[in-house]
Amino acid sequence: MMWFFKGIKKRIKTEKLNDKYKIKYPSALEGKSDYKCPTDAIEDQKWVKEKCIFCEKCDLKPTYNQDLYNINNNIPGLFKKSFYLYPVDSGTCGACNTEFDTIFSPQYDANRFKIFLSNTPRHADALVIMGVYTEGMEKIIENAYDAMPEPKLLIGMGACSISGGIIGEKIGKKFDIEILGCPPSPYTVINAILRARGDVK
Amino acid sequence: MKYYKFGNKNGRYIGSNNKYDVYENTIASRISENNVITEKKPYEIYFNYGPSAGGLRESVNFNIVTPGETIRDITVNSHYKRRKINIINNDINTALLKIERINGFHAASNAVCFLLAIEDALDIDNTGSNNKRIIEIELERIRSNIDVIGRLCESAGFSIPEKQLLYLREKVTRIISDAFNHRYFFSANYINNVHGDFNKIRLNNVYDEFNEIYNGLLESKIFMDRLQETGIVKDINSSGPAARASGYKYDARVDSESLAYDGYDAYTVESSDTFSRFMVRSNEILSSIDIINKLLNKIGNDKNDGKIKNNSGEGAARIESPQGDIFYYVNIEDNRIKDLSMVSPSYLNIELFKKAVKNNNILTDFFFVWESFGIWVSELEVDFI
Repeated sequence: MMWFFKGIKKRIKTEKLNDKYKIKYPSALEGKSDYKCPTDAIEDQKWVKEKCIFCEKCDLKPTYNQDLYNINNNIPGLFKKSFYLYPVDSGTCGACNTEFDTIFSPQYDANRFKIFLSNTPRHADALVIMGVYTEGMEKIIENAYDAMPEPKLLIGMGACSISGGIIGEKIGKKFDIEILGCPPSPYTVINAILRARGDVK
Repeated sequence: MKYYKFGNKNGRYIGSNNKYDVYENTIASRISENNVITEKKPYEIYFNYGPSAGGLRESVNFNIVTPGETIRDITVNSHYKRRKINIINNDINTALLKIERINGFHAASNAVCFLLAIEDALDIDNTGSNNKRIIEIELERIRSNIDVIGRLCESAGFSIPEKQLLYLREKVTRIISDAFNHRYFFSANYINNVHGDFNKIRLNNVYDEFNEIYNGLLESKIFMDRLQETGIVKDINSSGPAARASGYKYDARVDSESLAYDGYDAYTVESSDTFSRFMVRSNEILSSIDIINKLLNKIGNDKNDGKIKNNSGEGAARIESPQGDIFYYVNIEDNRIKDLSMVSPSYLNIELFKKAVKNNNILTDFFFVWESFGIWVSELEVDFI
């Protein structure tokens, strides 16, 4: 009971999406650069957002725009009432795992958008794969995907899973939603899901 | 190497990797051990948990021998997410981008320790940058300890303090992001330099908010009952909060010359259980805020004027990361990485976890014991190629 009152005393801490807090890196970059990027994220002087690890070494300028995602398969009408995610760590550094946890913090509160965490792939609507390809996790990811009920989605979170980043090889699967960044911010994760679901135009 | 030499055991044990056993002052050749589980008795079962399961943040597998409730033996298989990082022959700046991503949650500790080893190898005077680095590492310690305590609350089913700590962790992350342009210190560290706006670091609210949660948890008999006398382990081969929770004053902030802290005294308790580790981490959050506040007044006059004298050499460094001693050894030739070796605090913490969880605990104690060590598999399972 004591903690109940302590919780009430703190009042509501949840923020509107895109509230006052601004993130410089990672955010969409603009401009041109001749920098020889170690992840090949600059081709013909232009930015390739899928490969970028936002290392601040090139001349491209941050815009503070957090809309860093690719939606390869729109899912309007699906998962509107509840969307259960099952995260799988293939070969992360830990930053993506922590940002994924943070979407359920009081500031972001993903539950209000009917986004929930599943403890098993059997009850999940989407598999969220983080980190680079590792031999040890290949079979486990396959098994988790096979165990999911239809319809099911595959979400790639972070530069490592999508392009290999600077550490290793990409996962090599066709993702329905690609959430970009190194690591993607909690706002980016939530916004990508809302856009794919058709909640935000 | 100013502070290290190759040789036999000298000083306390820091940890091992696949090549070396590292001690307080020396690097010795590795004596390998086998990770073999006890054979089960007829009335026992093997209980397999992981590598991918709800409740686990990283991919790691546990094989537990149990008659049903007590844990008699356990093996930890952390190899599933083993990464091969192509870093040998990289230039220092590219290597640094990879080092930051060994453990992103503790990127500052890894990057600073790597750079201190580089500066040792290339004979660079880094005194102008080190106070700024201490501020970074202490900020990282605050966030890391809040995270561990939050996960202990989650294991105990204490949702309200868990969410309040998650809120506080995000608040500290935003302070880091405002000051260093990145939520995980990526690209903030350079040779003899730190890029950051230290005027944006204000932690007084964090001190008050954490103190209120901490005192609330100490008033809760249910929370204390779950943690006290759970996961007891006292071992001379330990480091970080786990060592200090057993009364050992092991702390690289006191006994390593790589990154000197002025007059720091390690906080210790004696009872060696999960509650002691919670006490150490909580008190270190408050002491880290004090360290940062004192240093913020001092760094104005620090100048980064150390010149690079060599382009080849051997160097080593050890600092106190949030989970214990972290160690880097580098061999540089023409400003490129010829050899690299690191020892993670998670190596010793996994060994301690195995001893602690077998020590008169039941299956429901498992999460308290695991979370109390703050182990990160990502920094343990790395091959440099």
